[in-house]
Amino acid sequence: MKNENKLKGKDLINIGIYAAIYCVIMTCIAMLGYIPIMMPLLAVFCPLVGGIPMMLFYTKTKKFGMITIMSVIIGIYLWVTGMGIWPAIFGVVFGFLADLVAKSGGFQSAAKTVLSHGVLCVMLFGNFLPLYIDREGYFASRQEFGQEYIDTLGNIMQPWTAPVIIIASFVFGVLGAFLGKALLKKHFVKAGIV
Amino acid sequence: MGRSILQASVTDRGLVLDPRTKLFMLLNMAIFVLGSAGGERVQALTPLFCAMPAVLLFSARKWKTAITFVILFILSYSMYTIFGPMTTGALHYILLGCSGILARFLPSIMMGGYLVSTTTVSEFTAAMLKMKLSEKIIIPLSVMFRFFPTVFDEAASINAAMRMRGIHLGGRNAGGILEYRMVPLMTCCVKIGEELSAAALTRGLGGEVRRTNICNIGFKVQDIIFIMISLVPYVLWILDIVGI
Repeated sequence: MKNENKLKGKDLINIGIYAAIYCVIMTCIAMLGYIPIMMPLLAVFCPLVGGIPMMLFYTKTKKFGMITIMSVIIGIYLWVTGMGIWPAIFGVVFGFLADLVAKSGGFQSAAKTVLSHGVLCVMLFGNFLPLYIDREGYFASRQEFGQEYIDTLGNIMQPWTAPVIIIASFVFGVLGAFLGKALLKKHFVKAGIV
Repeated sequence: MGRSILQASVTDRGLVLDPRTKLFMLLNMAIFVLGSAGGERVQALTPLFCAMPAVLLFSARKWKTAITFVILFILSYSMYTIFGPMTTGALHYILLGCSGILARFLPSIMMGGYLVSTTTVSEFTAAMLKMKLSEKIIIPLSVMFRFFPTVFDEAASINAAMRMRGIHLGGRNAGGILEYRMVPLMTCCVKIGEELSAAALTRGLGGEVRRTNICNIGFKVQDIIFIMISLVPYVLWILDIVGI
């Protein structure tokens, strides 16, 4: 092997597999967003539940770049499923940052892994961004959900909630990582998957 | 896993489009139908876009899927345009939850379904290679598309098994939903994934040399027609911005 740090076929395939699992789980959870009160809570649930597959993915991550590619792919997926271009941009930025954090721990340190997942989850804020910067446009695109939905959601998503959502997604990203680690210890180590 | 996602047989599949055309149309759906971009004149074209997957599915001879889609779409669309304004409160939400969302997402889901059910993995890879994308994005993406149906299949089976044990919403052991669904799902997906990656590696995926591909893809007459149609909203959008 010329360069041990280069991404090889197996790593790339792993990314694809975990991205598929993650996207399916996220889609199931995101469906809750059609109940207006659940919308901001998505920033809680997505990182929390997503922590489980992500922690498994982190155990396979040994090289720089894997987390970035993962988050780019998730960003593209969110874009194609109608969340706008922002998640894709956020995916590049925060995926790279999360990668740097994980790298600084040598992809081994538990604390750095947990922190890295927290950073990665800030990417989810990209989904909410249109609600703040282009409120009219966002609601115009959701006319068919009915005026009541728009009014309720508009009441919940006041501008001051923006930083709350960023912080929440980070905090629950960290918590989700702990949850994932606990499950990993309870089930996957025993089953010989990790 | 009887479904033929990304494993479409090469014979008997009707009109063949270039994967890039399909991708372009899928992107269009995301931008104009889901994202509602482009101003009023483009939005007036939305029904046209919604009809597109049906046309494509028919052209690919997926009769059953196409007819199911058309019936479902017309049902849900008429549900929420006729009954939606008549109701309020909780009933209204339920109605919107069922029909509004279905009507909104169904065309795009069908477009995605059309893309994955009529494209083989090799064609998909060949198209992305021609788009000069890096292999680092191509391999995960094609694995992901190949893997989606598997994940859904597994999830459905686990769902059925857990329902039997009372682990579902409103069941006796509802508290365990997360753990008892996620863990088996991930365990079997990881196992399948390992086998998949072993199979792919033996075929030389991720090798040092550039892979060759025997798939003959390229733009043909039908591609040009569909791309022309897909370009219409962009033209209208630009006209709108310019102010004509």
